[in-house]
Amino acid sequence: MTEHEMLSPEMNEPEARHIREALKQTFPAMNTELRRDLWPAVLRKLDARPVQVPWYDWALIGLSVSVFLFFPRLILLFAYHL
Amino acid sequence: MDLLRRFALGEIDAFETLARQFQGDIYAWTVRIVRDPGIAEDLTVETLWRIYRARRQFRPDGNFGAWARRIATNLAIDHLRRGRPEQSLLTEPAEAPPPDQVVQRETRETIQQAFRRLPAKLQVAATLALVEERPYDEIADALGTSVGAVKVRVFRAVRMLRKQLGHLGVRS
Repeated sequence: MTEHEMLSPEMNEPEARHIREALKQTFPAMNTELRRDLWPAVLRKLDARPVQVPWYDWALIGLSVSVFLFFPRLILLFAYHL
Repeated sequence: MDLLRRFALGEIDAFETLARQFQGDIYAWTVRIVRDPGIAEDLTVETLWRIYRARRQFRPDGNFGAWARRIATNLAIDHLRRGRPEQSLLTEPAEAPPPDQVVQRETRETIQQAFRRLPAKLQVAATLALVEERPYDEIADALGTSVGAVKVRVFRAVRMLRKQLGHLGVRS
């Protein structure tokens, strides 16, 4: 008896064994051989710099926050147009 | 200085040696779980990238292969949780198949759909234990849990699958 058959008393039921067989038929054996060297892709990923927000986007965010702080009613106008 | 120590210190040459040595194992493990070669390649690259980023957490006297496999398993589970559309594992025949084959095919598709509805951790345990017939201690190590917990997950997966298939009118 293999370890898989010793899983539990319930797993030894014919019904449970049928599920195992059905799964094996549904999911055929995979080719587990790697087809190409993945190191170049890893190196590219390691070299990729994190996305940087340009200075003008920060300036725009700062300007928007300032406008809403000094003119809070504009939030309602802004929300209306969204 | 040995390879693992040099890797833990961040030497890229040491990491390249390890990556080339273990990429095949990581891919083989991942493709067994996600069952799609393209996705398994992407996840292998992601695994190696995360391994390098987490190099300071690795103890040089530890088992690099087991550590890599655990990271790969977690990424594969995340992938299954995201529920990205799976490529059909069943190829379309050129001519209309006989009625028996149609029924078999429909049954397999129903089983596949029911299986993909299981929680990701149950899918992984059931795939590795029942489909791939990997040893339970190997699965437990990759999932970072005990052999008993893996057996419970496999049992729950079978029970849930049996129930779902019953609802879908498929006799197991």
